[in-house]
Amino acid sequence: MAATPPSPVGLTRRCPRTERGQGWRERAPGMVRGHGPVGVRCGCSRGVYAAPLSPLGWGTSDCSPGGVRPALSGLPSLVLGVSGCGFSQVYVTDVYRVPAVRQALRSGTSSRRQFSGLARPPNSIAMDSNSQSNYKLSKTEKKFLRKQIKARHTLLRHEGIETVSYATQSLVVANGGLGNGVSRNQLLPVLEKYGLVDALLMPPHKPYSFVRYRTAEEAKKAYVTLNGKEIVDDLGQKILLYLNFVEKAQWKELGLQALPPGLMVVEEIISSEDEKMLLESINWTEDIDNQNVQKYLKHRRVKHFGYEFHYENNNVDKDMPLPGGLPGICDSFLEKWLKEGFIKHKPDQLTVNQYEPGHGIPAHIDTHSAFEDEIVSLSLGSEIVMDFKHPDGVTVPVMLPRRSLLVMTGESRYLWTHGITPRKFDTVQASKGLQSGIITSDVGDLTLSKRGMRTSFTFRKVRQTPCNCSYPLVCDSQMKETPPSFPESAREASQLEQDYVHRVYEEIAEHFSSTRHTPWPRVVEFLKSLPCGSLVADVGCGNGKYLGVNKELYMIGCDRSQKLVDICRERCFQALVCDALAVPLCSGSCDACISIAVIHHFSTAERRVAALQELVRLLRPGGQALVYVWAMEQEYNKKKSKYLRENRISQGKEEGTSSDTAMPELLVEQVPNVGSRDSECCVSSVTDLPEGGHKARTVTNAKLPVHTNRTSFPSQDLLVPWHHQGNPGEGKPGHPAGAHDPGPVFHRYYHVFCEGELEATCQTLNSVSILQSYYDQGNWCVILQKV
Amino acid sequence: MKLLTHNLLSSHVRGVGPRGFPLRLQATEVRINPVEFNPDFVARMIPKVEWAALLEAAETLHLVEVPKGPIEGYEHDEKFLRQMHHVLLEVDVLEGTLQCPESGRLFPISRGIPNMLLSDEETET
Repeated sequence: MAATPPSPVGLTRRCPRTERGQGWRERAPGMVRGHGPVGVRCGCSRGVYAAPLSPLGWGTSDCSPGGVRPALSGLPSLVLGVSGCGFSQVYVTDVYRVPAVRQALRSGTSSRRQFSGLARPPNSIAMDSNSQSNYKLSKTEKKFLRKQIKARHTLLRHEGIETVSYATQSLVVANGGLGNGVSRNQLLPVLEKYGLVDALLMPPHKPYSFVRYRTAEEAKKAYVTLNGKEIVDDLGQKILLYLNFVEKAQWKELGLQALPPGLMVVEEIISSEDEKMLLESINWTEDIDNQNVQKYLKHRRVKHFGYEFHYENNNVDKDMPLPGGLPGICDSFLEKWLKEGFIKHKPDQLTVNQYEPGHGIPAHIDTHSAFEDEIVSLSLGSEIVMDFKHPDGVTVPVMLPRRSLLVMTGESRYLWTHGITPRKFDTVQASKGLQSGIITSDVGDLTLSKRGMRTSFTFRKVRQTPCNCSYPLVCDSQMKETPPSFPESAREASQLEQDYVHRVYEEIAEHFSSTRHTPWPRVVEFLKSLPCGSLVADVGCGNGKYLGVNKELYMIGCDRSQKLVDICRERCFQALVCDALAVPLCSGSCDACISIAVIHHFSTAERRVAALQELVRLLRPGGQALVYVWAMEQEYNKKKSKYLRENRISQGKEEGTSSDTAMPELLVEQVPNVGSRDSECCVSSVTDLPEGGHKARTVTNAKLPVHTNRTSFPSQDLLVPWHHQGNPGEGKPGHPAGAHDPGPVFHRYYHVFCEGELEATCQTLNSVSILQSYYDQGNWCVILQKV
Repeated sequence: MKLLTHNLLSSHVRGVGPRGFPLRLQATEVRINPVEFNPDFVARMIPKVEWAALLEAAETLHLVEVPKGPIEGYEHDEKFLRQMHHVLLEVDVLEGTLQCPESGRLFPISRGIPNMLLSDEETET
């Protein structure tokens, strides 16, 4: 393994295949949102990143050139600089160092040979698809191949469907599913042409199906002929099918079968007579105002009462109420609902929407700053299925029957988007009929329900003060304040930490301490393994949680926060106030050190390394240090296999536009939702080190995103909110956020670590060897020894 | 702050290095805290102690019965160990100052907690 990262030889500014100069765009070596430190990005790709080099260079490869390396699909790959046009450059020094690769090799799912192409010296450009037999493919063929591979990757990553490259009886048919408008009676005859179909499984709302043929030969025939074939869906739209072999028909079950938190559907809340009356009461004749509104809305008719809703900015003008207020007939209903407890507040704004079959509304969150928490919607004329989406990608379809009231509060109002897919049929539960609630996922109990004309009465209360919900990432009130940016100098780094670490801990010390009472077992284990009479420093001791764990040790705690050290003192521990970068203990005086959940508060790689180096300085030769830092990969998501770790690559659309066609077609670019982020395994911060020819990076003014609890981390550098009241256990990923609470919010800065990053950083330290490296409770951990 | 802790403290003012040890102790309030005697623990501490610094600190605090250095067979000498136990672990400085011998910088001890934070200027490269 090379001792220093090789310089980026061969990483040219022109994509060698397409010759497109603008393809390669240098990104801030500091940050690319969602992907961490990167070097260069090829624009001709679908956003695959080439990263500057390091002994543990990470990149992610979405499309292997021409399907050459199926073994790498889904794995965090060491192939760096894979451009979408098939060209790849490889800079890897040692395949074995990467845990994911090691794992794959150990588990026998891939052979060494499949990775052998990777270990090439930096100045030889290896492995472009030219070296493969499909050299002479036409442009369309290559394009198709790419799409097929992309389908494979997407199926694996999002649905847990593993495709295989050898023929089996079963095929997955991407783009041929109920979820994208393909019905059984369309697909089955097409498939039956190639052989005897044992079974056709069409999971609901999924843009794919599974077909099992009697023999593998028949399946092969279908694969060869149908791949890339065009068929026509329910609405007459053309669809391209992509087929891949699978071992068995299996897809990720929706773990979350509950309604989004805060959501309620009240059935039959009004009578049929009242429904008729309400529908007749609306005067749809166009007046001047409505004509203006129509230009924004392709799909539906609207009328506003109380306050006008402006579609240009999705907000209301609080200073311009509409004359007349809410229609008189609504009063009696609203009073009744208030009394019966279905609603808590009297609304002062009403929007009436009329949806013809085929109309929909794009997925959105009602603007936080415009309306208060409770938003209620009465469905008249026809039932509908409304889709609720969580920023992490979970979708819950909810049936809203006629004459039902949808109540959205809390998380379902502030965090989840809601929308109605523009289509003429909804997939509904055959047995339960049109009852409200979640549509079943039982493949055998589904039917299509034709939509009718639906009118909704949506009642809201206009907000008079800024929103201070617990979901800052999707909150326009809170996002208005200038967020801090990624520091560009040591002084900025220090200032950022002052504002977003030290000041915050001083404010929240007591509350924080009350949530930090249980020592983590493996840290305790480490401390208990030390011999009697060991001198141990706890750098960043917080409230002294670990200082009393082993009475046979002499432990000294250090923390930056006076208030937290006071708490240590109250517990009769030895503690002092100091900075982790300058610990006032003699060099070589400690038998051991621990630093638990500390180093992730340093905002630059240099400072993180310096903090580690300081720990090492304190150790006597042979002494050991235990370090814990927050992992990018949360426990919450840890249930997924390594294959399913989010490796999604930005399509280049950041916030993005919401699309009117919310049809979940497999190969269409993801409809980006507000707050949708991907956790990303990315290049270690080792690349930031001023080492071996790397220049000091030029960081563009990248802003730090604020994390929304119960979602994955948006990027490695971020601010994590701490709600000062009534939220025990807050601030850790995966913990329920609790009810929407109005206490003051503090933002703490974190740099969360990717897998391998802590190890890599430690390897740059002097006179240190890594004894152990593991994952524990949402943290990456190492045990170092001073040699 | 116990004297054993003081024995490990060193000034980290820039440029001072090993000349920052030991910190000169001045105490205005001292308390004696009884601590359970663990002879094995104390015996293991002895080799780690910087005696000159310890004696200096003990002197400023006007402590009596402070052994001048490790004696032969100290591991089994209960009297010695108890004396060391007292000096190292039971004497608690609540209020006072620590002074860097090289730069003269003063660090306060308040409610038993030394505050060793350096200002931005003192840490800047």
